[in-house]
Amino acid sequence: MTAAATGIGSSPRRRDGAELLTGRATFLDDHRPEGMLHAVVVRSEVAHGRIRSIDTTAAESAPGVALVLTGEQAARHAGPVPYFIDPAARGGNRADLRCLAVGKVTHAGQPVAAVVARTRHEAHDAADLVRVDYEVLPHVLDAEAALAQDAPRLYEDWPGNVVMHNRYGTGDPDARLAEADTVVSGEIRIARTTTAPMEPRGYLASWHGDTLTVHASCQNPHQLRWMLATTLGVDEGRIRIVTAKVGGSFGLKMQGHPEETLVALLSRLAGAPVKWVEDRREALLAGAREQTHRFRVGAMADGRIVALVDEIVADIGALTAQAGWAMPNMSATTLPSGYAIPDCRIELDIVVTNKPPLAAARGFGKDAAHFVMERAVDLVARDLGLDPAEVRRRNFVPSDAFPYRTSTGLNIDSGDFEGLLDKTLDAVDHPGVRRRQAELRERGRYLGVGLGFELTPESSDSPGTFVSGFDTTTVRMSVTGMVTVLTGVTSPGGGNDTGIAQIVAAELGVPLAWVELVQGDTDRCPNGFGNFSGRSMVVGGGSATLAARDVRAKLLAVAARLLDTDDVELRDGVATGGGRELPVPEVARALLTRAFAIGDIEPVLESTRAYKPGNIDHVPDEFGRIQPYPTYSSSLHAAVVDVDAETGKVTLVDYVMAHDCGTMINPSLVEGQARGAVTMGLGSALSERLRFDADGRLATDRFKSYLLPRAGDVPLLRMVHQVTPSPFTMHGNKGAGEAGVGGAQAAVANAVEDALAPLGVTVRGVPLTPPAVLALIDEARKGSS
Amino acid sequence: MTEIRLTVNGVEHAVDVDPRTLLVHAIREQAGLTGTHVGCLTGDCGACTVVVDGRTTKSCSVLAHSADGARVETVESLADGDDLHPVQRAFWDEFAFQCGFCLPGMLLTARELLESTPDPDDEEILRALNGNLCRCTGYNTIVAAVRRAAQEPA
Repeated sequence: MTAAATGIGSSPRRRDGAELLTGRATFLDDHRPEGMLHAVVVRSEVAHGRIRSIDTTAAESAPGVALVLTGEQAARHAGPVPYFIDPAARGGNRADLRCLAVGKVTHAGQPVAAVVARTRHEAHDAADLVRVDYEVLPHVLDAEAALAQDAPRLYEDWPGNVVMHNRYGTGDPDARLAEADTVVSGEIRIARTTTAPMEPRGYLASWHGDTLTVHASCQNPHQLRWMLATTLGVDEGRIRIVTAKVGGSFGLKMQGHPEETLVALLSRLAGAPVKWVEDRREALLAGAREQTHRFRVGAMADGRIVALVDEIVADIGALTAQAGWAMPNMSATTLPSGYAIPDCRIELDIVVTNKPPLAAARGFGKDAAHFVMERAVDLVARDLGLDPAEVRRRNFVPSDAFPYRTSTGLNIDSGDFEGLLDKTLDAVDHPGVRRRQAELRERGRYLGVGLGFELTPESSDSPGTFVSGFDTTTVRMSVTGMVTVLTGVTSPGGGNDTGIAQIVAAELGVPLAWVELVQGDTDRCPNGFGNFSGRSMVVGGGSATLAARDVRAKLLAVAARLLDTDDVELRDGVATGGGRELPVPEVARALLTRAFAIGDIEPVLESTRAYKPGNIDHVPDEFGRIQPYPTYSSSLHAAVVDVDAETGKVTLVDYVMAHDCGTMINPSLVEGQARGAVTMGLGSALSERLRFDADGRLATDRFKSYLLPRAGDVPLLRMVHQVTPSPFTMHGNKGAGEAGVGGAQAAVANAVEDALAPLGVTVRGVPLTPPAVLALIDEARKGSS
Repeated sequence: MTEIRLTVNGVEHAVDVDPRTLLVHAIREQAGLTGTHVGCLTGDCGACTVVVDGRTTKSCSVLAHSADGARVETVESLADGDDLHPVQRAFWDEFAFQCGFCLPGMLLTARELLESTPDPDDEEILRALNGNLCRCTGYNTIVAAVRRAAQEPA
């Protein structure tokens, strides 16, 4: 790599590297303004109950305490938290959600009161003195139990515990199932996991008169501003949100949490800056996924799949104003993934239980579709005695069929799924693995290989939400030629700022080092939607391109006059034309300081542009289907595992991901995203699981019991790239932030089943922890005896 | 409150601490060095790693009191002005971080490994890194960075 390689397709290092590597970067908890107080949230200890009374007397008189706030008191100052995605807008049930519970709690861990004190210790000590008297109500922790008519009701004015029931798909799957040569069915349980970024969530609010500044570890600064304006009744123009450095988020830090309003309110009432940072126990309350699927798949003898019926029960815990509750919708609509199956019926129940809410999570429900579909394909192969790779090949949407509308309505823009399959099989040396498997089986060892295809809809534009599928960027060149890019997309750590800077530098023909990025500041950046859905390079990069092209056009016009030629080129910070050279800063200075001499060119080197990708359609078709995604990444995963049948331990031996996210702006950043997502999928496939005790209290409340993958658990994740440009985005790029979670789960599960095929094991869920694997082996042995 | 003495990155600090004050909070809030991070407070993630009297230590699991008189080095001490330590350069070149929150632990652990084992094999690298969590990278690039740093002159 040469220092000059910074354009699209090259991998310059992270522009914020020195700051992060030396410890100079300022994360939320590093801010300590003068006079700052600390908040601690008092959380419900019961899963379901009415609040009879809250006694704050002892807490109020404890040392250092500035303020104790209950839900009743908070409700006098702050309105309901608006939904990031409103269930009512999608025909579902909603509830009035407050920053602190009023009257009733629906899960253990729900905020019921808050304490503000001089120091963290004083706040914790006082929080321990808050006495909450509950009338404990019967609770329900399991979504299937919550569906029963006589189940405890979380929200008493609802007809049941279902937020919404939806049906997706077209055709006549029942007729196709009846005609099929074989029908395989299964039940799959995907356990509750969580995103667990290394930096917990937190907020710091300060009021100066009637203006509010909030530093936040948050992905959506403009939406946070809008929401606070609503809940607090403050003019939006008087609120500034700064989210500069965020220590990972993965969806968790999307806006909509109760503590956002709470901390701003506490600061207002305390008359001082107030900071709250959740501890790890609080962070682990947030769920990422929990679903049960019951599916039937019909196939012909040649492996062609003709029908899919899937019934999904999604457990979202209690309802949340954050986007997390809506993820199961995407589990349904991402089926049948990249397979050409026109006859599908997906029934979805989104169910509330007395567990903490889901928060948005990388994968956003799409991961469950991949897991279920890839299990189904493997079961078809097993049933028909066919090679799982061949069954995939026979059912993929063919490369010449794009754009392709799926049975559930997604309009897949482009792809070459067979190409991914070929590359994966080649890279993993599929015949070689099969040979080794046979040799090891002779010696009583269990090696297995599993495939997982993933279709990843990205850069969403969903109706009924706080956000949209475009974004906005300003590109500004100063009188010295330095470039400032202000964009509405944010970076929680993935490095999209470097990618956007690369695009702008390339468009303007200036060195990358001249480009400065500003993100996550509502006073400086144009209105935007932040970070989610693998959108940052699609719409952040797209809008930056448009704005940079405007500035470029202006520079060319000015340089043409100065060089007295119409044929000007901008490269490496120099304008060249008519055999002469002029540094770009001189062109900028000429326009911005000698505008009258230059003539009739408006002396502005700045442009603000929005970019709307194509392929989005909210008008329901004759089947009621909409199309909320411009572009679809795809990937094929192969996992090779060694299963110890004595201990149940699964060891990853090899891993290949063939990845197609269209044009790559910075391939090293893309690989970083992919490896991170795969590793998250590996964790949920093998070790991660949030468990609750019978009373609904989180049992896995630290990293000793909630087991993230560690360095020694992850093999070299080998990356193979395929580039099928999207016809609907500026650079042909597709989202690259999420692909890997579902594919990794599926590939590992299929590999474990393949390894244990001699024992006749059938995998029915994740995680495949050692006890879970031993249980599968026991079950298979009992079944065969 | 009791006064303890800490030498942090060569600078002596006299700080008043509560018996419950953790070393990580004394370093961050009293010595004012916020490069050391709090990720879990249970000794599991390693974001709070510092070097105490020559050994990497999870500073969330040490009471400030018990570190009275100790010589502490934090991630801020790694670079010499604008000159990055070879481990830092290798992490930058290999894209061995994303959000950067885990970096204090990763960098100090990598440096300690290379000081005792200048040419570690992969197993030694993985064993050393196993005490530090990263949720962004999937670790591959971190391992590659340690390998690269081992090949560079210190």
